[in-house]
Amino acid sequence: MDATHEVSREPGGFAGESGADKIQERLQKRHQARAEDAERRKEAKESMSVAEEKGEYFSTSFNTERASIEELLSSCSGADRAVVTPRLEEATAKTLQLQKFLNDSMLFLTQYELRRAQAALQKLQSSIVEIREEAQPRKKFTFRARTKATDKVSDAPSPEADTPADSGGNKVDGAAESVQCRFSDLDNVCLTKTAEEIQKRDVLLTHLSNCKVRLFGSPSTLHLKHIDSCEILCGPVSSSVFIDHCTNSTLAMPCQQLRTHNTTDTKVYLHVTSRAIIEDCHGVSFAPFSWSYPTLEEDFDLSGLDRDRNNWSQVDDFNWLAAGTHSPNWTVIPEADRKTTWDP
Amino acid sequence: MGLLTILKKMKQKEREMRLLMLGLDNAGKTTILKKFNGEDVSTISPTLGFNIKTLEHRGFKLNIWDVGGQKSLRSYWRNYFESTDGLVWVVDSADRLRLEDCRQELSSLLQEERLAGATLLVFANKQDLPGALSKEAIREAMALDGIKSHHWCIIGCSAVTGENLLAGVDWLLDDIAARIFTTD
Repeated sequence: MDATHEVSREPGGFAGESGADKIQERLQKRHQARAEDAERRKEAKESMSVAEEKGEYFSTSFNTERASIEELLSSCSGADRAVVTPRLEEATAKTLQLQKFLNDSMLFLTQYELRRAQAALQKLQSSIVEIREEAQPRKKFTFRARTKATDKVSDAPSPEADTPADSGGNKVDGAAESVQCRFSDLDNVCLTKTAEEIQKRDVLLTHLSNCKVRLFGSPSTLHLKHIDSCEILCGPVSSSVFIDHCTNSTLAMPCQQLRTHNTTDTKVYLHVTSRAIIEDCHGVSFAPFSWSYPTLEEDFDLSGLDRDRNNWSQVDDFNWLAAGTHSPNWTVIPEADRKTTWDP
Repeated sequence: MGLLTILKKMKQKEREMRLLMLGLDNAGKTTILKKFNGEDVSTISPTLGFNIKTLEHRGFKLNIWDVGGQKSLRSYWRNYFESTDGLVWVVDSADRLRLEDCRQELSSLLQEERLAGATLLVFANKQDLPGALSKEAIREAMALDGIKSHHWCIIGCSAVTGENLLAGVDWLLDDIAARIFTTD
């Protein structure tokens, strides 16, 4: 430090000359002021940075806390259930606290420290879960989770990918059979549902091929899944129509929203009051809804759809987000090729 | 005073929360958002992208993010995880076919590190439909009781009628507030 350097030279300085003396004095004063200033600044800086916001403080307190939780957990192994439960609770609470501490400290930690702390916490959490399962095998949620897991295993060998999900829903489906209208697993038949059957229910059509389907009335929603070479005409749907895995078919329906997935080579005669979307589709073509039946007007009223608003030609393709260029996955059916007569 | 304390105080003063609304397509996320904000819900289109609404409720400023649920958009969900205080998971209670899908998507969300601190509200939506599953059935189908990593709550609601939307959001606010705003 040059301040001390200058000061040490001062006593033996040029005492003879009063001018030089003064300069010396002035210089010394300035040095002193500067040194004090530096000291002040240093103090100020120290008071600004809080001890809690240092990586070192974090890692030591994190590790002590972690060690105490680990100790708590290890004391659980082999202990009585009555003893384990409160200990586990304490450990859980402490872990949560530790997580919060980590979250609070996120700002000043390095990525590496953060990741290590996260990993440590994860380990703690999983060992808590392990011990909890060991200690309380009879708890409701554990039991349920296990039965579900075995269910899935027994379902797994079924050849079709969709089956596990479907059979998982069977139980709830059964209960709701009365409120749901459906046709499934049919080939080459004509199917009809009347307004009385449909009235405001969900309609589900699955695994149909070469069928002609007429749905008179106003469903709440319409689901079409795994449809091949069918002609499906439906009355006004008050909310959305869902189409999934449909090929080589002709569909007609008024609805509020149309959501089309995994569909190829299908013509849709559509009345949609908000928007139609397609996703993972190609060769889908659209035209305005043109089917009619005697009570269509009443069903339109029942569905609450706006007859004057039809956005059939505004289709959003989720696989084609480029603005300006038209999606290659869908087209408008040229007027000359549109079907105008539906029933012989 | 440390920087962190200052930040916390600022957040506390603004009483601001960030809520992220996710769920499968056609669950009713946008309808919930619009209904909550008092807008018309009859002209809603499937969400291509996302909607954000900032609104005031009970003295809190809520930033609600509603991100589209189509399959092709789900990979973008992660872009919205940062600094989320509350996660609202919306389930179409009438869509039995995709409940398993729904459960899987939720459970993979809950493993996300960046959502680790968030409170989870599950809306069992469309309770007004005759074919809707009850809140209890959804709770079981989604294996909610197995969730130990987050505070959670399931509420049956109808976005179309507005039933129970407030109750759900109020629970969420209370839970988040207890966590991030220290009472003076």
